[in-house]
Amino acid sequence: MDLRAGDSWGMLACLCTVLWHLPAVPALNRTGDPGPGPSIQKTYDLTRYLEHQLRSLAGTYLNYLGPPFNEPDFNPPRLGADTLPRATVNLEVWRSLNDKLRLTQNYEAYSHLLCYLRGLNRQAATAELRRSLAHFCTSLQGLLGSIAGVMATLGYPLPQPLPGTEPTWTPGPAHSDFLQKMDDFWLLKELQTWLWRSAKDFNRLKKKMQPPAAAVTLHLEAHGF
Amino acid sequence: MSMLQIWLVQALFIFLTTGSMGQLLDPCGHINPESPVVHLGSNFTAVCVLKEDCMDYFHVNANFIVWKMSHFTIPKEQYTIINKTAASVTLTDVASLNIQLTCNILTFGQIEQNIYGITLISGLPPEKPKNLNCIVNEGRKMMCYWDPGRETYLETNFTLKSEWATEKFADCKTKRDTPTSCTVDYSPVYFVNMEVWVEAENALGKVTSDHINFDPVDKVKPNAPHNLSVSNSEELSSILKLTWINSNIKNVIRLKYDIQYRTKGASAWSQIPPEDTASTRSSFTVQDLKPFTEYVFRIRCMKEDGKGFWSDWSEEASGITYEDRPSKAPSFWYKIDPSHTHGYRSVQLMWKTLPPFEANGKILGYEVTLTRWKSRLQNYTVNDSKLTVNLTNDRYIATLTARNAVGRSAASVLTIPACDFQGYLAESTCYLITVTPVYADGPGSPESIKAYLKQAPPSKGPTVRTKKVGKNEAVLEWDQLPVDVQNGFIRNYTIFYRTNIGNETAVNVDSSHTEYTLSSLTSDTLYMVRMAAYTDEGGKDGPEFTFTTPKFAQGEIEAIVVPVCLAFLLTTLLGVLFCFNKRDLIKKHIWPNVPDPSKSHIAQWSPHTPPRHNFNSKDQMYSDGNFTDVSVVEIEANDKKPFPEDLKSLELFKKEKVSTEGHSSGIGGSSCMSSSRPSISSSDENESAQNTSSTVQYSTVVHSGYRHQVPSVQVFSRSESTQPLLDSEERPEDLQLVDNVDGSDGILPRQQYFKQNCSQHETSPDISHFERSNQVSSVNEEDFIRLKQQQISGISQSCGSGQMKMFQEVSAADAFGPGTEGQGERFKTAEMEAVLDEGMPKSYLPQTVRQGGYMPQ
Repeated sequence: MDLRAGDSWGMLACLCTVLWHLPAVPALNRTGDPGPGPSIQKTYDLTRYLEHQLRSLAGTYLNYLGPPFNEPDFNPPRLGADTLPRATVNLEVWRSLNDKLRLTQNYEAYSHLLCYLRGLNRQAATAELRRSLAHFCTSLQGLLGSIAGVMATLGYPLPQPLPGTEPTWTPGPAHSDFLQKMDDFWLLKELQTWLWRSAKDFNRLKKKMQPPAAAVTLHLEAHGF
Repeated sequence: MSMLQIWLVQALFIFLTTGSMGQLLDPCGHINPESPVVHLGSNFTAVCVLKEDCMDYFHVNANFIVWKMSHFTIPKEQYTIINKTAASVTLTDVASLNIQLTCNILTFGQIEQNIYGITLISGLPPEKPKNLNCIVNEGRKMMCYWDPGRETYLETNFTLKSEWATEKFADCKTKRDTPTSCTVDYSPVYFVNMEVWVEAENALGKVTSDHINFDPVDKVKPNAPHNLSVSNSEELSSILKLTWINSNIKNVIRLKYDIQYRTKGASAWSQIPPEDTASTRSSFTVQDLKPFTEYVFRIRCMKEDGKGFWSDWSEEASGITYEDRPSKAPSFWYKIDPSHTHGYRSVQLMWKTLPPFEANGKILGYEVTLTRWKSRLQNYTVNDSKLTVNLTNDRYIATLTARNAVGRSAASVLTIPACDFQGYLAESTCYLITVTPVYADGPGSPESIKAYLKQAPPSKGPTVRTKKVGKNEAVLEWDQLPVDVQNGFIRNYTIFYRTNIGNETAVNVDSSHTEYTLSSLTSDTLYMVRMAAYTDEGGKDGPEFTFTTPKFAQGEIEAIVVPVCLAFLLTTLLGVLFCFNKRDLIKKHIWPNVPDPSKSHIAQWSPHTPPRHNFNSKDQMYSDGNFTDVSVVEIEANDKKPFPEDLKSLELFKKEKVSTEGHSSGIGGSSCMSSSRPSISSSDENESAQNTSSTVQYSTVVHSGYRHQVPSVQVFSRSESTQPLLDSEERPEDLQLVDNVDGSDGILPRQQYFKQNCSQHETSPDISHFERSNQVSSVNEEDFIRLKQQQISGISQSCGSGQMKMFQEVSAADAFGPGTEGQGERFKTAEMEAVLDEGMPKSYLPQTVRQGGYMPQ
């Protein structure tokens, strides 16, 4: 260990300056760039809000679909819903996702789900249901913007949709009415799962982005000099 | 209102005239502009253009034009004749909001004929809307409102615009009757920030308000909590529990509450402390209420963090606290019927019913007990507020308690004296005299007073003692005298205090005190203090008390010792820090680092010692304690550049030195001697980094040693060149600079190698440069000396660029000695060596090989 005069004086000066500036700097100096923390928190809140919104919307919509879709224990096999992005993922895989991938997956999933949901909107029957769906779509649009905002703050590029893979809603005649309803059912179910997952995703990000105490100290020193 | 009527009439007139003219006859001309809107207070110019055929018909031209404004002729001075057919009029400082301006011609000299008329509307451009804010009523759409600024007198449209970062929403246009607010027709999305602003536009201009950016959830006005209900508790009469149902927004945000209550009939509301209701809940227990009282409650809520708006108040709900036992019994009195017979008397006890705030519930009855002197107890339960009993002539004690569903009050007591009661009062005894008023419906509240028949001086004086003794003051305290020794009302106390030798001092103290502080006492002195209490009749001294004031006040010693210790500590700390920083200097003066020749072995310099350090490390650059950061940085910058160009020449010199070593050992020896660095080598870079400073000092010490201890360096004293020594003496800084610089280069290994050749003494790199050039030019020693002198002067002249200069000189020296044998060959070797150095700078193996290769030469 090579201690030199310059070092010790520097350290002393550093200490003095830090002490001197300590009262001048507000206890938790967060006046500067707040970082991605608040926007992540907001996105997290939004997923919770959407989850809550979807709960009542899904109830109404499934009632509109009629039995057996509105039966509580109705659990059909996932038929023909392969185009929907799947939220379920192996826990280990989920844990090992990095921030960028995590956000990208969320963004892509919701852009697809939003497209499908807009199709749903067109078919919906009652005016009240249409209004709820419209509002839910707007909210989902807001979530997309929110995720995009977080990604921008963290410096990640937005995933570009490949021109060929743009999902389209085809209410074509190939679908029987029952299968159509099945698709709707699965869309709502998948949305629900995605919202659960996103809440977890953003909670994880939120915890990760919380600035540790050391960062504050560093901030202080940067102010000192 | 009347103004409006006038306008209407005028408008109607204009409408009729222009209308009839337009329909019935083709107008004889027109006014330009047709329907102007002007800024209030500005100037306005209108031009009337006559038609040719009309002019011919009426035999008029522009000179005949007469302008009228609301039926008043405008003075000719304001007219301007433009040409034969057109004339203009300029109105200055337009102040009316609505002006009818007509263009007329004077036909046939006198008759005024209307040609055309316009309505001039004036007003103001809109002001920038201010204080824009929005509110989201739960479950409804967002409404924004603003302050539109001054009146414009014109039709002004306000448009509310809103957008997300990613999307625009539809504009919201205000309705005519609500120009200061607009309700958007979409439900806002919580937790997504939106930007909102308002645009105001009229005929005179368009302005935009400041943009506001917010999260709609921060503008929420929740629905009021509903189904508020109140319930009481049988256990606690001072509480009421409120329960309510929150609005649905509690699923989205956390809430805080505001609960108010008042007793029924009161008008002012009391508030529950906000900090008690600062989180989402659906019930609350209000405490500290009065028993058996009806309270009215209401509640409202808002977002927990205070952003947004309070909800409306909930509907009011009321509840009654549970009963408590009566807080006191009514005071009561007796009335003795004078017609007593045969040792008995009729006594009527009476009292008032308790007021509700003391009854604490519904009074179920009163209980009276009567006790004859040391005799049996008689109990009565009464619902009324009076009781008549027949008593003997003895003294009785009566008690009265009130009872409700919860319990009984404390008893109030009354003594009914014996029939033959005779008063006897003693002197100097305190009596409590109580008077109770008795009204027709019962007794009132009694009043009491203390009194003496005759006062006397106290029979004992108060005992004084110290509570606290300080350096210059003492706090004295004493107890109030007991009533039976007071013998009167104590009016005041006198404190007497004196030192052993001094006069007695007296202080008067009010009788209400039981404590007094004596101040301005002398420290470390014995004081005697006593105290006297006085009634109106005289006083009495108490016992004397002695105390000694201490020499030092409390904490005084600490106040002296602690700063002294701190100062000492600080001084020591600074001293240590100073010594630490100047340790090289101190070491140089006190215990110079003299190398122990006996520990110096050629073997130690064995090239097989594995290198352990990456000598490009920055640490090494800074290793010398005598350097400031600045100078190091400077040198680093200076040194990096010359190195590559001069590498070859340097290498060459080193090689040459090696090659000449064998046959010019004397010179080599001298070079070793003059070198002052024991070690700068890549092989022990770590060690050198640690003791570089000492080694630098060592070089100085050796120099001084060289001067003062000639024998110790005797072996090396032979030298034809004293300049290196001179140089290092004069400019140790330069030496160090160069050392440092070299240390960071890849040259060092070879210096190490040189050192080995030179037995004990290592070569200071810079000097070795000279030496090498010296050796190179050993063919012509005189030339060399000259050169060297040049070099030295060059170095001593320029500090900063010393290193660069030196390299240049060295390369010059290289060119200087063309007579050296085998130069081409050496060049080759040097090149090879450079390559090898680059390839494996940490290995000595190639050097060893080279050394071996050179040895035979």
